[in-house]
Amino acid sequence: MDIAYYPGCSLHASSSLYDVQSRRIFSEIGIYLKEIEDWNCCGATSAGKVDDLLAVAMPARNLGIVENAGFSEMVIPCSACYSRTLVAQKVLDEAPALKEDINAELSKKIRGKIKVSSILEVLLTAVASGELAEKVTQKLKGLKPVCYYGCLLTRFPQTVSVPDDVENPQGMEKILKVLGVNAIDWSYKTDCCGASAAVNDEETGLKLMASIMGDAVAREANCFVTTCPMCQMNMDAYQERFCEKYDIPQRLPVYFITELIGVAMGISPGELQIDRHFVESTRLLKELNLV
Amino acid sequence: MTASALEFKPESANSLMKEVMERSGQNLTACYQCRRCAAGCPVGEETGFVTPDRLIRMVAFGDREQALNNQLVWKCVSCYTCGTRCPNDIQTARITETIKKMSKEAHLEALNHKVAHFHKSFIDAGLGRGRINEMSFMTSYEIKNTIKEIKKLNFKNIYRELKQQSKLGLSMVKLKRMHFGFQSAKGRKELKRLYKMKDKIRG
Repeated sequence: MDIAYYPGCSLHASSSLYDVQSRRIFSEIGIYLKEIEDWNCCGATSAGKVDDLLAVAMPARNLGIVENAGFSEMVIPCSACYSRTLVAQKVLDEAPALKEDINAELSKKIRGKIKVSSILEVLLTAVASGELAEKVTQKLKGLKPVCYYGCLLTRFPQTVSVPDDVENPQGMEKILKVLGVNAIDWSYKTDCCGASAAVNDEETGLKLMASIMGDAVAREANCFVTTCPMCQMNMDAYQERFCEKYDIPQRLPVYFITELIGVAMGISPGELQIDRHFVESTRLLKELNLV
Repeated sequence: MTASALEFKPESANSLMKEVMERSGQNLTACYQCRRCAAGCPVGEETGFVTPDRLIRMVAFGDREQALNNQLVWKCVSCYTCGTRCPNDIQTARITETIKKMSKEAHLEALNHKVAHFHKSFIDAGLGRGRINEMSFMTSYEIKNTIKEIKKLNFKNIYRELKQQSKLGLSMVKLKRMHFGFQSAKGRKELKRLYKMKDKIRG
């Protein structure tokens, strides 16, 4: 099955490993990600703070491209891109005059609606159909992850219908079950890592990240699993700093859900690019004899 | 910023309330001050007196100066916890986002200039090339910060910032997470045209 795919800027740059892993594991379960042509930046969380028109217009152009390419569904692995695109579609749907004015300047016009899916939604269809289970060649025994969803996958600035529980989402846990893993229950799965605060309001950012880490450690998790490239980058790249600052001796790998699925499918760590994490992340998998 | 009590300013209450409500799309009159938003706010410890419910109160009281100039507006991380938990569906994060823009239009100095620089540089980069090129975006952001610190003669901050950023940059290079290529979208022209005529767009 072909599905439209919006990688967003970070999957083409600092989180390109997530792009490689996503394409690889999806093709394994017969889902082919078709990157849409000439997509533009979604505006992320910055657009809403700088200009409200851009916050809608930037994702709108991408929605027009998908629709005109004949797709009815698009998957967006990045939580910020997913959130912005989903919300923009809702705004356009409720404001016909705005839609008409934006459409007037777009070469690929928006006429109907497409299904904007998070990576978990698409993976969960493969869980339901049993296709994921079929491709699992080894259970990930010994892995004790906490599932970290962050903010933008479940909470939105507009009321939109989302397929998972807002306060206690279960999508990642369901996927991990298929990989033979029982995720650890914890209190920080939808807490904020601070996102850009890591860069522009360091003290706040480090504090938020340290609380998330503190709970994961207290519950004896041996790794994080996430779907958001922003959360992944923050919890990984800043881990040394916030742990030092808040006296946390442990270090935990922060895996994308796609690399754990890849490992369970027997794909090599090299191909999955697991060596591109800030916190050493292959060691744990080796110790558990998973790679 | 702290305040002992909010001051009711009838002459500006109406206009401020109307502007914030229209621009944020949030029905502020529905707030009955239950403070579920304040209880869930992850930056609540950093914002002093101002919690989401109190920000709504400031707007309702017409206290433009305090509403436009407080820590919550600049500390808010847009995690949308407040709005998700609000029994009346008020998304306070949309209010802080709106007030950031209003404060800029009023030529007020941002309480955290790095936050303002970050979002401005991000959108300039995203719109300018159609896609974010992390290196040039971060360079533009750091130049803005540096100029600001030079004006304040705060050289220690400049040194600290550049030291930390280059350390992060180097480890990104080592892990091949620094992207040296250049990405762009041709269709950015359509977005730039829209942005130019934004005052004519109905919404």
